[in-house]
Order: sequence, then structure tokens, then C-alpha cells
Amino acid sequence: MATNRSGAAQRPNGAPQTKVCQFKLVLLGESAVGKSSLVLRFVKGQFHEYQESTIGAAFLTQTVCLDDTTVKFEIWDTAGQERYHSLAPMYYRGAQAAIVVYDITNQDTFGRAKNWVKELQRQASPSIVIALAGNKSDLAAKRMVEFEEAQAYADENGLLFMETSAKTAMNVNDIFLAIANKLPKSEGGGAGAAGARRLGDAEQPRSTSCCK
Amino acid sequence: MNEEALLARASEERERIFQRYERGRENLVGQIDPWEDPEFEEYHKTDRYGFIHDERLPQKTGIQKVNIEVEREKKWVKMLNNWDLQTTKEKLHRRIYKGIPNSLRIKVWCKLMEVNRIKSANPGKFQEMLKLAKLWSTDVRQIDSDVNRQFREHQFYRERYSEKQCSLFNVLCAYSMYNSEVGYCQGMSGLAGVLLMYMDEEDAFWALAVLLSDKKYAMHGLYIEGFPKLTRFLEHHDKILTKFMPKLKHHFDKFGLDAILYSLKWFFVCFVERVPFSLCLRVWDIYLLDGERVVTAMAYTILKLHKKAIMKLNDMDLIVNYIQVKLHKDFGFEDDIVIYHLERSMEELKRAKLDYPGPPPPNELPKRQLGTFVEPDKKSKIGQRAENFSETEKQARATVILRREKAAMELQDLRVSQSDTVSEHSGVAGGIRCDDSVSALGSRRSLADTSVTSTADLSVFSSGRSHAPDNSLDTHSNVSDDATGSDGSGICGLSIQRAPSTTHSTPRATPHPPSVSPMSDDVVRIHVTYNPLAASPSHLHPISPAKYKAYTEEHHKPVSLGFYTTNGATNLHSDNRIRIQVPSEELLTPVVDSGRIITPRFIESHSEIYDLK
Repeated sequence: MATNRSGAAQRPNGAPQTKVCQFKLVLLGESAVGKSSLVLRFVKGQFHEYQESTIGAAFLTQTVCLDDTTVKFEIWDTAGQERYHSLAPMYYRGAQAAIVVYDITNQDTFGRAKNWVKELQRQASPSIVIALAGNKSDLAAKRMVEFEEAQAYADENGLLFMETSAKTAMNVNDIFLAIANKLPKSEGGGAGAAGARRLGDAEQPRSTSCCK
Repeated sequence: MNEEALLARASEERERIFQRYERGRENLVGQIDPWEDPEFEEYHKTDRYGFIHDERLPQKTGIQKVNIEVEREKKWVKMLNNWDLQTTKEKLHRRIYKGIPNSLRIKVWCKLMEVNRIKSANPGKFQEMLKLAKLWSTDVRQIDSDVNRQFREHQFYRERYSEKQCSLFNVLCAYSMYNSEVGYCQGMSGLAGVLLMYMDEEDAFWALAVLLSDKKYAMHGLYIEGFPKLTRFLEHHDKILTKFMPKLKHHFDKFGLDAILYSLKWFFVCFVERVPFSLCLRVWDIYLLDGERVVTAMAYTILKLHKKAIMKLNDMDLIVNYIQVKLHKDFGFEDDIVIYHLERSMEELKRAKLDYPGPPPPNELPKRQLGTFVEPDKKSKIGQRAENFSETEKQARATVILRREKAAMELQDLRVSQSDTVSEHSGVAGGIRCDDSVSALGSRRSLADTSVTSTADLSVFSSGRSHAPDNSLDTHSNVSDDATGSDGSGICGLSIQRAPSTTHSTPRATPHPPSVSPMSDDVVRIHVTYNPLAASPSHLHPISPAKYKAYTEEHHKPVSLGFYTTNGATNLHSDNRIRIQVPSEELLTPVVDSGRIITPRFIESHSEIYDLK
């Protein structure tokens, strides 16, 4: 991932004429693995040591610019507790992308992440782009999930994979950009396309350019 | 790993977590991870409630106000000494709405919740539950991770394993055993956290127990599987919006913003971390006095006070951010003003008979005897996720989805009724290609254009649509006229005709649950073709089974087409409305392919008249 792209996520710099695509992205994973923190880092560039626990779900948007396209992510950040699991499909239905998050210092969360991947593969759109994020990579000293193990699992299942740190911002923008790159952006969505909705005139984001 | 090893690991983990809280901060020197326990920065401002602020305090409490509070304290002390007197009862309402002096809050709250009564009736219970929790609670990990982030900006909870953090852990663990149906649900740490700012461990435990199981507060139904009380209160909230602030409601609907997204914490934790803490306490004072009505009225009041600002925000995330983050930091109105409006709202809602969604139905109440030990099953011991959703969970989700789709439909109705030109001829929409959101909306529109008075609800007509229905909570797809869908191959047919109507006044959704549904004389002829599949949601009642049977026999269709009226359903109000349930693969396993339809469906068109009468 080119480094300049990381910057682009926070201050996108697209030409006014670029194509604007909108994608729904959902974050899933065990409680306290850092889902909300990843979103907060990506959307606002902030990190809170004690991110308020997400009850129900949270919604945020962020726009990134690729070479010829502006991608607007509608991000659904879900609660991790099992009880809220029943509400999750409400959020991932219609999602074109998902980030399944685990905590590299906790083996159980990796197991749960696999369950989420399974559920997405079973229930979500076949063309959904799934990324696996091993979060809290700043705590590598306490690592319980090996990078290679997760990478092998991701390869087997055709997932994007990165180890991230919402705290240090490592790979946070990159994982979103990798997803943006992988999402089909052709108009009308070719065969198998997840069909980004290209925004019509009436639906343009607040400004004429994609920049906020 | 086999089951035994998993069980052993889970119980080891539980013990490890428990031990750390038992030892407490003083005995964990050098054993607390730095990330869990950031250095205390030199000097921060601590407000009068104990919250630590990075910056200058937003408002100073003026000397005048402090003086008023001192004067009030004197009166309150007198009142507390004569709590059971009639004169106290008479004064209580007025004085509580003025605000309980902070120094006496603990005493008054305990009186209002009758904490002592329930505590003395259950001697030793709290300790017993705590001991059981150490051996059995399956919620320890979740509680631990939430204690680690609840109110960390408050001096009591700032330090990891501080006394109050340990108390919070104990209260929640003990409660998870006391009420095994609820166990621990995220959100409860906020409630217990506030109580512990004022009470000791055992009192806070019993106060929590009162909040959940006393019928005045009945929060039990909020936290159990499927969140039935939340659903009920959100529906009531929507009714209030529809009646008193229809424009705002439509504004929300326009962006696909369901109340569950912006107001969840209002109902779940009574405004904790959604309004400034000083205001939150004032609302709690009143909530503890008057119960559930206060939450409903406060939700209404917040939106009423901020309607103008919210109407200017044209994006779902801006609206949510305003309601959840901005209002928490700075509510923009003085607490006294807000409480004044809250009281007005309560009167206003009462006049409209909308102050109260009614007493909790049985499914929202504890079924098991509280305080009796129930051994958790193996799966929850190991912490395994359930493979499938229970019926309750499925229904909870279906309800939200239906609510969204209904809102989208109503918005569509409104748009049509506002436009003077009828663009399409009635009943010509047969055989529309429902391959994307555009045509689906097109079909809805043509339906609505047919008659603004008859509102056949096709909102669940989802199997053939690929995008819009799959995004019931999506920002735009349900409402946008301009959304450009992509190619699809699924085809379904739909057309609508309305028979001459004898009346043009169709009762619209009324704010009251219709016990007897008024019907108009409208007759709607509906041509629907599709591939019927799965079962029907249990909370909708099939109508006209005979006709349905005849229909299916005549056309040799699988017996799974469901025609429903929502009139029999208690939680949906839509008079004169047919709901056509066209289940997709599985109602609750939505097809999410947004670009094309996985299984093309086309069945030649048939017609049948359904007389709603």
C-alpha cells in the first residue's frame, strides 16, 4: 500500500469529476477487540484508551479517494456482546464489505472472528469483501495469535488480512483502502459485482468534491 | 480442544479475573498493564460530580446557584426526617423536579427506590450471589472488559482495580447470578456505575435489582434476549414523533435513521453518557420518582428542543453525532430549562394519552425466581456462540426491519400525497422488473399513486428486490428516487388496482394501538407474482385463509404465500392496510447481493381481489 494513500484517507484530495461510489461496510467481532477504536481512528484520526462500549450499533461515514474514484464508506460498527448478535444481521444485510476484528493478545477472539467469517460466508452476499483485522498489534509482546496462523487462515478463505493498531494507527487506513480497492466500482456492476451505488446528482455528498 | 479442556480454561479465566479484583489495586503493584492504567496527568479539572476534564470546565456553577442549593438542603434534611408524612409526599414532586441537592442524593434515591426495604428482606443475599458468581458466572469476562472502560474519566473509576472499580465488578457479577435471565448485558455497567457514585456496593446491588424488577422501572425487559421492552418503547417513541413532530420523523426516515440507532442509550441507561451528567442526574431524580413515563417524555423533550438544529443536518452520521456526542458534551440549554420542558412534555403526552406505552407484558418480566441459583449450560460456560438465533431474537430483528420498511413506505406515501400530479396511470404497473431499488421504488410509487387513500403496504415485498429491502437501515436506498441500481436478472411482477372507493378519508396510522381497527371501504386489487418460499413471521396474522387456499390451489403454488393484516398485531398499527409477506430465502437470512438477484423469479401474473372488510 502506497504511503501517500494513508494520508488520502483522512484528507482526500479528489478531483471534482471523479466517480463517487458508496459502500456499506460492517465491523464485526468479539467485545473489546477494538472495533469502535478502528473506526474512530479511520474516521476521526483519534484514539481513546477507554472507548465507550458500543451498545447496539454506531454509524459513521468516511470518504476515501482512489485514483479515479471516490469511495464513500457507510460504516456500521456493531456491539460485540453475544446478546446483541441477534441484531447484527440487520446491519450486515446489504453490506458490500466487512471487517472482522480480533485481538492478537486473545486467542478466543480469533476463534470468534472465524465464527463471524463463517456466518458472513453463509448468510451475507457471496460477493461481500471480507477483511480480517488482527488489532492491538502495539501489544505484540503479549501476542497469543501468530501472524502466520491468521495469514494462513485468511488465505484459505480469501480474506484480506492485516494486523492493525488503532492506538498507533498502524495499517488502519490501509485496511480500509485495501477494501476500497477490492470493491468493484464499475457502474451497473458487472457479473458478480457487489454493485456500488453510484451517487446521482441529488445524492451527492455535501460538497461538490469528495472532500469533507 | 475438547470440551473438558475448554471448560477448564473458562473457569481458570473466571478465577483469574476474580482474583485481581479481590486483591485490588494496592496488592497489584507492578502487575497492572500500563495500557490499562495510564499515568495520572498532573492536574486536571475535576467537576463537582467527580468527572475529570481535559479542559476548562464547560460551565461554572455560579455562587448564586450554590446558595440556592444550600437553602434547599435545609428543607430536604427536614423532609428526609419526615419522609412518611403526608406533607412530604405533597412537596416531593415539586421539590424533586427542582433537583435533589447533590449531597443528599444518595439518601433520597435510596428512599425513592426503597433500597433498605429490599436489602433488609434479603440479608446475606448479595454476598451469597457474589460467591456463586465466582464459581459460576459466565459473564465475568464481559463484565471485566466493561469495568475497564466504564466512566474511566471519573475519579472513582480512573485507576484500574480501584475500590470503586472492584465494587462495580462485584455488583455486576453478583447481579448476573441473582437474575439469571438477564445475567449481564452491556449497558448495565452504566447504571451500576452511576449508582456506585452515590452508594456502597450492597446498596447499589439492591438499587440495580429494584431498577430491573420493580414495576415502576421494569428495566428487566430491556436487557433480556430480544430486547422486548426496547422494541415496545421505540415503537411508542415513533408514535409520539409521528403525532407531534411529523416533519422530524420524516427527516429521520429520509435518511433511513431508525430510533434504535440514536436513542438506544436513552432507554437502556436512562440518558447516561447521552446528556451532560448534571442533567442526567436531574432526569434520574425524576425517573426514580415517576418511573418509565419520564424516559419517554425526556426522549420527546430532547428532540423537541433540538428539532431545528437536527432538521438542518442532512446526513445520517451528522444527525447521530449531534444527538449522541454533541448533546452529551453540551446540551445547549440550562438543566432547569430542560426540566421545565420535560415537565411540560409529560403533561402534553398525558393529554394525548401517549405518556405511557402501558404496563409490561409477561414476556418482559422475570420468569424465574430472582436470587435462585441456576447452573449455566455448557455452551455458555465455555462461552460458545449460539449457532442459531432463537425465535425471540428472530422476532426482535424482524420487528425492527418491518419498522424501517414501514417508515420508508410512509415517507413514500407522504411524497406522493404532497405532489399534485399523478404521473402514472393506476394499475399499469403489472410485470415490473423488480431488479433493483429503482424499479422497486417505482412499483411502490405506482401503487401509492393509484390512491393516496389506500395504502397497501408492500414494504416487505423483498424477495425480488435486491438492494433497497436489504438495506432497511441503509441511508438512502429506500427513499432515494435517484439511486441508480445495477443490472439484475430477477424479475417479478406487480400491479395494483383500486376499486372505486366510497370514502376518501382513510384513517391513517393512529397514535393509539388500535383495539378495534377502523376500516375504510377501499378495495385494493393486487396482482402479485413471485416465488413464494418460506414461513411467515409469527407476529403477523394471516388473513382470509380460505381465499388464500383457493388461490394457491387454483394456481398450483406452493402453500407459502402469506397475506397478512397488521390489524391483529399489537405492535404495529396500520389501519386499512394489507401487508403482503413475501419471504426471501429465509425471512431473517436476507439476500444481500446488491447487484443482482441470486435466484431469478418469475411467475406469470394472477389477480385476486381482497376485500379488506
